[in-house]
Amino acid sequence: MIWAQLLTTVVMFGSVYAVLTLALNLQYARGGMINFGMVAYFAAGAYAYAIVTQAPPEGLDQYLFGFAAPWWAGFLAAGLASLAFAVLTGWPTLRLRGEYLALTTFAFAEVFHSVLLNERRIGNGSVGLSNVERPDVAWTGLDDTIVYAVAALTMMLATAYVFNRILASPYGRVLDAIREDELAAQTVGKKITRIRFEVFLISAIPVGFAGALYAMITTLVSPTLYTAEVTFTVWIALVLGGERTIVGAVLGTMALIFIQESLRVYPFETVRAAQIAASAEEILTGAIFIVMLRWQPFEKLMKKGRPS
Amino acid sequence: MSKFNRSRRGLYTASVAAMAFAAAISGSVTAASAAEVTIGVLVPLTGELGEFGSIVAKGVELAANEINAAGGTSCGTIRTVVADTAGEPDHAIRAATKMIESDGAVAILGPTSGEMVALVDLAKRKKTVIVSPYAGTITLNKLGGDFVYRTVSSDLGDGAASGLWLTERGYKRVAFLVQNEESTISPAQVARTKVEKSGIEITDYVVYNPGQPSYQAELTAVLAHKPDAIYLAGGQESGVTVIKEATAGGFKGEWLFTADLAVPEIFDAVGARLLNDRAYVEFADADKSLPEYKAFEALHVAKAGEAPGPFAANSFDMMNLVALSLQASGDCTGAGINSAIRGVSEGGVAVSSFADGKAAIAAGKDIDYQGASGPLTFDASGTVAGAYSIQAAKDGAWVNTKFYPASLFD
Repeated sequence: MIWAQLLTTVVMFGSVYAVLTLALNLQYARGGMINFGMVAYFAAGAYAYAIVTQAPPEGLDQYLFGFAAPWWAGFLAAGLASLAFAVLTGWPTLRLRGEYLALTTFAFAEVFHSVLLNERRIGNGSVGLSNVERPDVAWTGLDDTIVYAVAALTMMLATAYVFNRILASPYGRVLDAIREDELAAQTVGKKITRIRFEVFLISAIPVGFAGALYAMITTLVSPTLYTAEVTFTVWIALVLGGERTIVGAVLGTMALIFIQESLRVYPFETVRAAQIAASAEEILTGAIFIVMLRWQPFEKLMKKGRPS
Repeated sequence: MSKFNRSRRGLYTASVAAMAFAAAISGSVTAASAAEVTIGVLVPLTGELGEFGSIVAKGVELAANEINAAGGTSCGTIRTVVADTAGEPDHAIRAATKMIESDGAVAILGPTSGEMVALVDLAKRKKTVIVSPYAGTITLNKLGGDFVYRTVSSDLGDGAASGLWLTERGYKRVAFLVQNEESTISPAQVARTKVEKSGIEITDYVVYNPGQPSYQAELTAVLAHKPDAIYLAGGQESGVTVIKEATAGGFKGEWLFTADLAVPEIFDAVGARLLNDRAYVEFADADKSLPEYKAFEALHVAKAGEAPGPFAANSFDMMNLVALSLQASGDCTGAGINSAIRGVSEGGVAVSSFADGKAAIAAGKDIDYQGASGPLTFDASGTVAGAYSIQAAKDGAWVNTKFYPASLFD
């Protein structure tokens, strides 16, 4: 029973995060762009979904817009919002390289977070938007946690499939060429800035969709859910899984969420035990990371069977 | 074989695994064993509200032990499962889901304001009752009432009590420093309205973000307007820094803090010297003259070896109400508790402990639980009317100064 529930949680949250890891894999491992602001695109999707589906403000609400549209409209809006934010941030920053790009994207994400937190007319500021619309899945006859886990998994697989097609195409090889040697790629006539920008945009769309799904799962959209911690989680997942493979990115994310969840699996029956466990959790997480990064078991797994 | 084909086969395998996974899990939700009934205790044990979380969890534990000593409910003895949320809504959602689905919890007790708001939808979907002893947020005035309850009054009353105190003290100029969080902004807004109505000048109303190493920027402007008093609605971490920096910046006036700072630890963290005789704290409190409270206080001292902390009585009541609801409905589920919780808290024979309530129910009577924290009657939004206390800092401790009974705020 515990294991079934653990599996559902890991698949559900793991798949949502894996979409972000896949986008990061495309941007960084293949496109050579360091994006330290992944959470902002995720948040843009979630907020867009909530605002589009939310009922108009009433009573103590401080937000200005609520369109009460059906979920699919919100879902589409989420992809568009993330895309729009990628255009806004990608256009001025993609001329930058390496750590400069990393810092700029990080700053953009922090600015966005700060705006969401302090501008109460967007989404009630720190209070957030609660009771976010979620499609009724009773017709499936299954428990809705399972339906959402399957939906997340499907979204992740679809993202992996599309990204895989892109990377396996000639376009993907251009991308590899640009990462390996920009000058050489430019010399043979590839428009570097444009291709980098395109990849940045393409990878942002599924992140927005994942944001919408995350909002449906949690039914809450608030700035506390979208901190730099999300970005770091995704980066750790990418490093865990080993760079440059789609399966690695997915496995790394699943493993990371599994570690986090399995540390909380045991039901503590006394306050004292729960207190000790809460304090020990972070130490244990750190220790596991050190072990994982030192020996990189997933990367080794990925390398097995790969033609040298 | 090309790389593309190999990856695609991987995707097919994954899809098959997904379907197998869905089939394996569906319909496998089970309840706890018949001899015991599981109650989730979901509180922040770490982070800014950690002190409160542990008081609440211990209050629930104390009640559960009493209930079990009285032979438990008709659904079996109470088994608690405790988890830390660190004050984060997303942790709360994951932990609550786990408690309901794998531990078989029929009720979840103890979430804070932000966490309660995040859990409303889950509670209704999973037909699991959630009760908070300290979530005053105004958002719940709209969302609560069905599966969502609280044994504390809403922030509207909290803010009103603060406003009343600021007016009664005869201040002319008051500055508001408010942490940018749901639980601090909602009472501050109400207090502000009250204070404005009574003609006091509000020199500044500053909403600040917590987690900063220094609040000098906010304080410089506030102190420049020389307020008689500062109303500080802040968490324990930011509050300590603000108090220290304001004093260092030359603030000589008085303070009014909100409930977050109503803990003894604040005297160690800030230094009693800076607070004695000039700091006050306002919080939702039990009516300490009630016999039910006195009995609870005596029990707490006997079992825990110390006087009850803030919200301990509300936490104790919350567990008792849930146990009495289980007993009264005879249906050992969240839906059972939800159907009975209003019935056991109003209209009928007054009882003040689980043992008395159990006996009265066995005798076929309708009961009205009178809690340690007050009479506990839920309104349409699942909220109780509450009383408030003002305590003053005297010789390094909080001392009762003023009590505002619930009747003032109806």
